Amino acid sequence: MTEVSLRALKKYYGKTAALKGISLDVNHGEFISLLGPSGCGKSTTLKCIAGFEEITQGGIFFDNQDISHKLPENRDIGMVFQSYALFPHMTVAQNLAFGLEMRRVSKSEIKERVMRAMDMVQLTPYADRYPKALSGGQQQRVALARALVIEPAILLLDEPLANLDAKLRDEMRGFIRDLQKRVGITTIYVTHDQDEAMTMSDRVVVMFDGEIAQAAAPEDVYNAPASERIARFVGNANILDLAISARPEGGGIETRLPGGTTLHVTASADWAGERLRIMARPEQIMLTAPEHGQLGGRIAKRYFSGGHVEYSIDTDCDEIAVVGPTTQNLKEGDTVGLCFDPARLWPMPDDRDGAAP
Amino acid sequence: MKRFRAYFLIAPTAALLFLFVILPYVTVLVMSFRAPADGQPYGQGFSIGGYTQFFRESYYAISLPQTLALGMATTFFCLLLGYPIALHIATASRKWRGLLYGIVLSPLLVGIVVRSYGWTILLGNSGVINSTLRDLGIITRPLPLMYNNFGVILALTHVFLPFMVLPLLSSLQSMDPAIAQAARSLGAKRLTIFRRITFPVSMPGVQAGCILVFVLAISSYVTPSLVGGMRVKTTTLLVIDALIDQFQWPFGSAMALILAVSAGIVVLVFARLTRMKWN
Repeated sequence: MTEVSLRALKKYYGKTAALKGISLDVNHGEFISLLGPSGCGKSTTLKCIAGFEEITQGGIFFDNQDISHKLPENRDIGMVFQSYALFPHMTVAQNLAFGLEMRRVSKSEIKERVMRAMDMVQLTPYADRYPKALSGGQQQRVALARALVIEPAILLLDEPLANLDAKLRDEMRGFIRDLQKRVGITTIYVTHDQDEAMTMSDRVVVMFDGEIAQAAAPEDVYNAPASERIARFVGNANILDLAISARPEGGGIETRLPGGTTLHVTASADWAGERLRIMARPEQIMLTAPEHGQLGGRIAKRYFSGGHVEYSIDTDCDEIAVVGPTTQNLKEGDTVGLCFDPARLWPMPDDRDGAAP
Repeated sequence: MKRFRAYFLIAPTAALLFLFVILPYVTVLVMSFRAPADGQPYGQGFSIGGYTQFFRESYYAISLPQTLALGMATTFFCLLLGYPIALHIATASRKWRGLLYGIVLSPLLVGIVVRSYGWTILLGNSGVINSTLRDLGIITRPLPLMYNNFGVILALTHVFLPFMVLPLLSSLQSMDPAIAQAARSLGAKRLTIFRRITFPVSMPGVQAGCILVFVLAISSYVTPSLVGGMRVKTTTLLVIDALIDQFQWPFGSAMALILAVSAGIVVLVFARLTRMKWN
């Protein structure tokens, strides 16, 4: 198992900065996701770690060894690509054997390790098939086994599930996660899919514009995003812009909702300024009878989506998205009351364009 | 109905092929078994004389292996020169790719007669190369650059190089760049990647280019006759000679068919040897 350390990593293409100083420590056996919109630098970061991109400044360390200027073939990495990148002219078994042949492993050992790797990804019956004769999911499993059979120091995955259909993607998520835990290999996973990042990772690293915006456990990124942009990128977020009415001695902040109800926000009590921007996730808001809610509203739109119902509700505080159970019998046009859970409201700095961070 | 409509679409091509390829071949086949005659292109009756004459007279028989060898040599040199060019263009930046593409294709813009004459100007006994070397005092007698296999292979290689580069290029460009990266991540060095990944994966292009150049080279007439000056006797030249100069249509037809069948066998054997189970 290997520890990966990125220190003030910078990458310029000409004068354009793709990475503006990435610092990140990945622990032994940790599963890290680099999450962000396209062009945020997540793939560039991965390519720098793999060695396919030369870094402009900073350093990359595997177990405190500087590998910044090693060639990719000498870095001891296992990599899985979005396009699978299997060798089309080799069978499954030959694909898996390639990396071991490069390492001059003996023939008998290659045979044994390839067998074990094929067993690991449940592809033993396909040993003599060519990649073309395999489904997308099977090809991705071959790519995974090919990267792992050489027992590399770290495993790098570049949007490996992006080409699969939704159902298979869900299956592969669990498969990759279980395999990674079993092998215990330090893993860096690049994705633009926030569900993927959250379900699979020990830690999610959110990146915007060549910088790390937040690196934290999936629960923290979701419930306690460091900025409004993160809140909006990771899941759906309602942002309420409220006036601060009091700062009680016991901690927290009191804000006043339109309509007069006072909301006591417990988190992050020492917030300066007169207004507060608060995030409330749609599924953390409850819909009740109008007289019981902290805020009144009218259902503008209602979408049934199988497991739950999505509402868009007109209130004096903008339009608010709410996700509720299917057991509630509410129609478009109904007036309702919205109930917030004060413990789960999250205050954030205002990072909209033109606003101070 | 759908099926019928699809046939309808290929009907014009099928008609053209039938009229200008299949029908002529049948005519040639029939003609090759006609009896020869004096004072006219062919006589009455059935004869296999055209075929036996070809194999009996070494003047003709020897031209077949000579032609096939010439074709193989041209194919080999086209591959040798064309592969690096194709590889270079495939990996060039977008800005350069268009220009390089144009340079490779530019010979096709000039007629084959002009290009072949160009070679005679360069290679002739009093051509550019020989007269320069003589003026410099390096040689006293002209080097035999023309009217031999060397000159013909050189000129054919030049003429058909684009037909090798284009299929190679399309094969190399359709290759996923991540494949080479995957090989690197697994510990392979540049040369190993070329030998074990890039070249084998580009085999469909190699195969197509080789077959194309070989077939074009053995059937070419202008270049061997101008640069070879009738001293390099290919079967194709002899066919034209028999048909047009000697007025022996059955014999010429028989030779044409012998060459076509031989070339077909060579191509089939080559395709068999380079068969890709994975494709």
